[in-house]
Amino acid sequence: MIQDYIVFVGVNIVLAWSVYVILLAGSLSFANGGFMAIGAYVSGVLTVKFGFPLVIAALISGIAAGLIGVLAGFPALRTRGIYLMLVTVGIAVSVKAVIESIDYVGGIQGFGGMVGTTPWHVVGLVGLVGGGLALLSRSPLQRILDAVREDELSAASLGINPIYVKLTCFGVGAFLAAVAGSFYAHYLIHVSPDQVLSVFIVLYAVLGGTNNMWGPPIGAAIMTLTPEFVRGLEAWRPTAFGVVILCLLLIRPDGLLAFRIATTRTKVVAGSKPKQST
Amino acid sequence: MLAEQIINGVVLGSMYALIAQGYTLVFGVLDKLNFAHGEIFMLGGFICVASIALGASLPIAILVTAIIAGLLGLVVEFIGFRKFQSPDAHLTAALSSFAIGLVIIDLSQKIWGAESVAVTLPGTLQTAAVSIGGLRIVVLRLAILVISLLLMLALYVVVTRSSLGRRIRAVAESPTKAALFGINVTRINQQVFFVASMMAGLAGLALALRTGYASSDVGFTFGLKALAIMAIGGMGDLRGALIGGLLIGVLEALAFHWGLGQLADVFVWLLMIVILLMRPSGLFGTLISKEVRA
Repeated sequence: MIQDYIVFVGVNIVLAWSVYVILLAGSLSFANGGFMAIGAYVSGVLTVKFGFPLVIAALISGIAAGLIGVLAGFPALRTRGIYLMLVTVGIAVSVKAVIESIDYVGGIQGFGGMVGTTPWHVVGLVGLVGGGLALLSRSPLQRILDAVREDELSAASLGINPIYVKLTCFGVGAFLAAVAGSFYAHYLIHVSPDQVLSVFIVLYAVLGGTNNMWGPPIGAAIMTLTPEFVRGLEAWRPTAFGVVILCLLLIRPDGLLAFRIATTRTKVVAGSKPKQST
Repeated sequence: MLAEQIINGVVLGSMYALIAQGYTLVFGVLDKLNFAHGEIFMLGGFICVASIALGASLPIAILVTAIIAGLLGLVVEFIGFRKFQSPDAHLTAALSSFAIGLVIIDLSQKIWGAESVAVTLPGTLQTAAVSIGGLRIVVLRLAILVISLLLMLALYVVVTRSSLGRRIRAVAESPTKAALFGINVTRINQQVFFVASMMAGLAGLALALRTGYASSDVGFTFGLKALAIMAIGGMGDLRGALIGGLLIGVLEALAFHWGLGQLADVFVWLLMIVILLMRPSGLFGTLISKEVRA
C-alpha cells in the first residue's frame, strides 16, 4: 500500500511540475496527459518488445515526447498563448486517437507487460526534478522566464527570444510528463489510452498554486491522497476538485496564476502597482 | 452511396457549425476560450431525454432545451468569466470554464449514469425518410440541417444588421470604449453567452435525436472538435465557423466512407495545427472585427 502511495504521489508530483515548467513561461498546457501517454507507450514498447532497461527507455520516450511537443508547439507559439492552448488540446486528443488506432500497442484494450518501477525510481525522479527546479529558481534563467511570462514584448526588447524560451519550456514539460508516464506505466503493468490521459494534471498544478515550485507538488499530493483516506470522495472526485478550483479562482482571481511572489528573490518595490492593461 | 455520405456529412457539419458558432461568438466578444461550451452541448442531449421522459412533446422539448441551456450559459458566464475580464486573464478563464465543464460532466454522470441513454420519439419521426432524385434521406436529418442553417443565418443577421449586433461588435472591438458609449458590457456578455449556449444545447439535442441516444462523453469528443473547427474557420468569425463546420463534417463523412474513420479526429486537429501555422487568423478574416493580432 505504502508503495502505491509513494509511486502515485511521486508520479503526480512530477506531472504537476511538468505543467508548472510550461506555466513558467506563461503558457497553459492541456497536452501533458498526452505526453504522459506517449511516455507510457513508447517506453513500454521499448522495454517489452525490445528489452531496453527501464531508465533508458524512459529517457528515450521523454526525448520523443519533447520533440513531438516542440514540433507541434512551434506553430502555435508564433502567435499568442491562446493558440498554444488550442494546440495542446489538439495534441491530447490526437495522441489518444492515434494510440487507439494502432493495433501494435493493443488499441483500445491497452498495452501490458511493463514491469520494473520501484518506489526508488520515482523518489529519485522527484528528487532530480525538484533539485533541478530549485537550482533553476535561483539562477538567472528564472528571471528570463519571469520576464517572458510577465510581458513578452518588453522581454523581446531586452534581447530575449520569447518563442525560444517558451518552446524550451514546452519541450522540457513534455519530457518530464513522458518520463513520469513511463514510470507510471511500468508500475501499473498494464495501461490503456483512457487511463494515462488524465485531465487532472493541469488541476494538480493549479490547485497547489503556481507561484513557486512547492505549490504543484502540494496540490498533487493533496489531490492524490485525499480520496484514498476520505471515504466517498473518490466517487465525487471531478466535482469536488472542479468546485475547489472554481472557489480558489474566484476568491483569488489573480493569486493562483499571477505569480505575485514569482521567486524567493523577488522583492516588492514600495509604491509599485500591478500593471494595468487597457 | 457516396452522395448519401456527403449529405450525412453536411448534416454532421451543420451540428459542428452550431457549436463552433458558440465558441466563436464568445471568443470574438470576450477573447477567451470557453471550455464549458462542449459540456453544455452534451447536456443539451440529456435535457432533451429528460423532458421527453417527463412526457413533453418534441417542440416543447426543443424549447425547454434551448431555455435551460441558455440559462446554464448565464451561469457559466457568471461563475467562469465575470471576474476574469482583463485581457491577461485568458489562462484563468480557460481554467475556470474547464473546471465548470468537469463538474457538469461528473454531475450528469451521477444523474444519468456513465452509459449512454436512448432517446425514442413517438411515431416514425426518427426513421421516416423521403427520396429525392433517388437518394433516401431521413427527414429528421434534413430538418436538423435546415433548422441549424436558419439559426445560424438568424445569428448572422442579428450580429451584422441589428442594433444589438452593433453593440455586440462594439464590445468585441473594445469593452472599455463600448462602456464609455453607454453600452452595458455585462448585459452584452450575458446575451452572447445565452445565445451561444442555446445553440450548443440545440446542437446537443439534434445529435441525441440523430444518433438515438444521449451520451456524457460527446462534450469531450464532438464538442471539443468544434473548438478545432472554430480555429480552422477563423477565431471570432461566424462565417468561418459555418464553412469550417460543413467542410470538416463532409471530410469526416468521406473518411468514414473510405474506412479511415478512426483517424478523422487526428486529421481535424492536425489540420488545425497546420492552419495555425499558415494562417493564424484561420481560413477567413474576422467578421466581428478586431484589431490585427500581434
